[in-house]
Amino acid sequence: MAKRLQYRRLLCLVLLLGTAFAGLGYRLVDLQVLRHVELRAMAQLNTQREILLEPRRGDILDARGNQLATSVFVKTVAADPVLLGDCQAKVARVIAPLLELNEGELYNRLLPRTRVNDKGQTVTNRYVVLKRKVAVETWEKITEAMGRLTFTTNEVKLSPKSFGQFCRDLRAKAVFTDPINDQKRVYPNTNLAAHVLGFVGMDERDVNGTKILETTGKDGIESTLNSKLAGVRGWRMTETDSKQRELVALRDQDVEARDGLNVVLTIDSVIQNMLETALAGAMKEHTPISISGIAVRPRTGEILALATLPTFDPNNPGSASPDARRNRVISDLIEPGSTFKIVVVSGALNDSVVTLNDQFDCENGAFSFAGRVLHDHERYGVLSVERIITKSSNIGAAKIGIKLGPDRLFNHICDFGFGQRTGIPLPGEVRGISYAPKDWSKVTIAQIPMGHGICVTRLQMTMAMCAIANNGALMRPMLVDRLEDREGRTVVKYAPQKVRNVITPQAAGLMRTALKTVVTSEGTAAKAALENYSVAGKTGTAQKVENGQYVKGKYISSFIGFFPADNPELCISIVMDEPKNGYYGGLTAAPVFKEVAERAGNYLNIRPDLKDFQPSTSATIAAAPDRPIRTVAARPLNHQ
Amino acid sequence: MARNRKYQPAGIRFGPALKAVLLCLLFAGSGVGYVWQKTQIYELGKQIRQRELHLVELRESNKKLSNRLAELRSPLKLEQRARELNLGLVQAQPAQIWRLTEPADPTVSRPAAISQLAARQTAGPRMR
Repeated sequence: MAKRLQYRRLLCLVLLLGTAFAGLGYRLVDLQVLRHVELRAMAQLNTQREILLEPRRGDILDARGNQLATSVFVKTVAADPVLLGDCQAKVARVIAPLLELNEGELYNRLLPRTRVNDKGQTVTNRYVVLKRKVAVETWEKITEAMGRLTFTTNEVKLSPKSFGQFCRDLRAKAVFTDPINDQKRVYPNTNLAAHVLGFVGMDERDVNGTKILETTGKDGIESTLNSKLAGVRGWRMTETDSKQRELVALRDQDVEARDGLNVVLTIDSVIQNMLETALAGAMKEHTPISISGIAVRPRTGEILALATLPTFDPNNPGSASPDARRNRVISDLIEPGSTFKIVVVSGALNDSVVTLNDQFDCENGAFSFAGRVLHDHERYGVLSVERIITKSSNIGAAKIGIKLGPDRLFNHICDFGFGQRTGIPLPGEVRGISYAPKDWSKVTIAQIPMGHGICVTRLQMTMAMCAIANNGALMRPMLVDRLEDREGRTVVKYAPQKVRNVITPQAAGLMRTALKTVVTSEGTAAKAALENYSVAGKTGTAQKVENGQYVKGKYISSFIGFFPADNPELCISIVMDEPKNGYYGGLTAAPVFKEVAERAGNYLNIRPDLKDFQPSTSATIAAAPDRPIRTVAARPLNHQ
Repeated sequence: MARNRKYQPAGIRFGPALKAVLLCLLFAGSGVGYVWQKTQIYELGKQIRQRELHLVELRESNKKLSNRLAELRSPLKLEQRARELNLGLVQAQPAQIWRLTEPADPTVSRPAAISQLAARQTAGPRMR
């Protein structure tokens, strides 16, 4: 009997244990198999972290390696209003001066705000951005200041144990930075070459469900070469412990960010500065709406300087007007005026339609053609082709154009690159307007040689002049010399590109001969003549068009020249929009050319080519008004 | 002949005891080794993390220094500074620049060409 009872008890116990084990077994299967995916995801959320590794944006350097744009890592400072309790005022007082923010405004931002979430629960915000682009040094000061904060139990009504924890959390966690470093673009030379460099802005991007702000180029080289400058973001899949410290041994994926490439420009910051200084001087003297300048090496098409005023500071592009940010050199269309005569005369010389000695009757300053009367600025009689260029006779140029014929003239216009983009790696370049002969009126054939009835960009006109300087070979403007990695190793090297031969070297040589006479005392640009170098160039003074009418008193004045004339090293173009105190290109733009050319020729150590130039052994140079001139060698070695 | 347990020698049998102790030591050693290894992995992980952070700091500091150097060597800043200090420095004029050309005759040695130049310079007024 007793044995039966024992068996029963044993059976009950076995059943009980069996049921318990079965229950546990089911639970195990439920957790490990049925809800595996869901629970695994939850567990991973607890420990696994994906950290995005930000690449550094590449620098922009000038041809000599001087920094034009660089990036520094900065922080986005945020706060958790919940951890602040009632201490917003105290925290705001401490960190507002460091963040350079208004204390009241900061206080308001630190106040907790509630909202109802998707599940209908009321939640308090735990993340508020206080300031973006905060320097690392400033963040260190904030951490220090927060660590020094003291509170009394009167301020925070909590139990002693909770008070301690509250203070620790507030000091260490209430104000924090975003885990992903932000970058601040710095242009150390402020507005130097601003229109070439462009500027950057912030774009919001979704990366694996996380919205991040990233720096993107918005204009200039920053925009064109954004993909090269930006680099490639890296990531790290890792796990953290309960205190959010990374467990390095449990790293799953670790892909380093690849920094952006450095862009080395053909721009020389010294020449750029010379150009901008000269333009600023002319801006003061002639108060034009705008003034632009370009310096190009004709043989290669390398742009050594490109500037337009008014300009802007790329460190703070928002403070400038859209007009100041516009790169007028490539995006504004102008009627070139007399500088365009180089295209017509070059074409005519190339096609042997004329020679430099051919004579044209310039009709004493008034020539009736197709129901219109064309005028010269002075009354000229019979002039040779060379003298037509020297004196910039509109009537002479028109007659050469008529002799060349519309089809050949149009072909030469196209060959010189008008009506097409030059291919400069900058955004916003326009093609210009150049109609085909079928759309011309009767008078167009006489207007175009004078530089009217056609719209070009300042860069197109400069490259056309460069083609003449370069024995008739039109080059593509070159702005980027190479791409380098962080260590300075060349990744991509860009070579000069010839677009096409637009005229023969012989025709180019003849044209240079004619252009050299422009800067003589008989020419229109005597003020562009240089002391040590021969100069070839052409002036232009075009009346502006407003509402389809030529307006009196409003001109585009320009001078484009190169030197040394027979072995050109540098071509410089200066264009002013509505200059005051004189409007002829020879009086307004030519002196600016001279100023830039003299300094640039000297700096680039271009060999003087004028026959009467002799390197003197007792050089005399203008002394500074208040101090005697000293060379570096003349300075004492020991500064005492 | 089987002997009665009663008459078995009372002394400890060392062989099995030693085996048991060794086995225990092996298990204990394995356990301690495992824990030690895990601790080492954790410690090394921490060190790696610290060194990574240090590397980032060094890179940052290096970048800051190179930026500073670039700023100090910037021709624009140098020119501005030279103006501020009123040193009277000016760019060399073309007339002040002597260009030395290679001798056309390969038989003329370089030192000879240099001495010719020196003689020419001493003959004329000195450059200042």
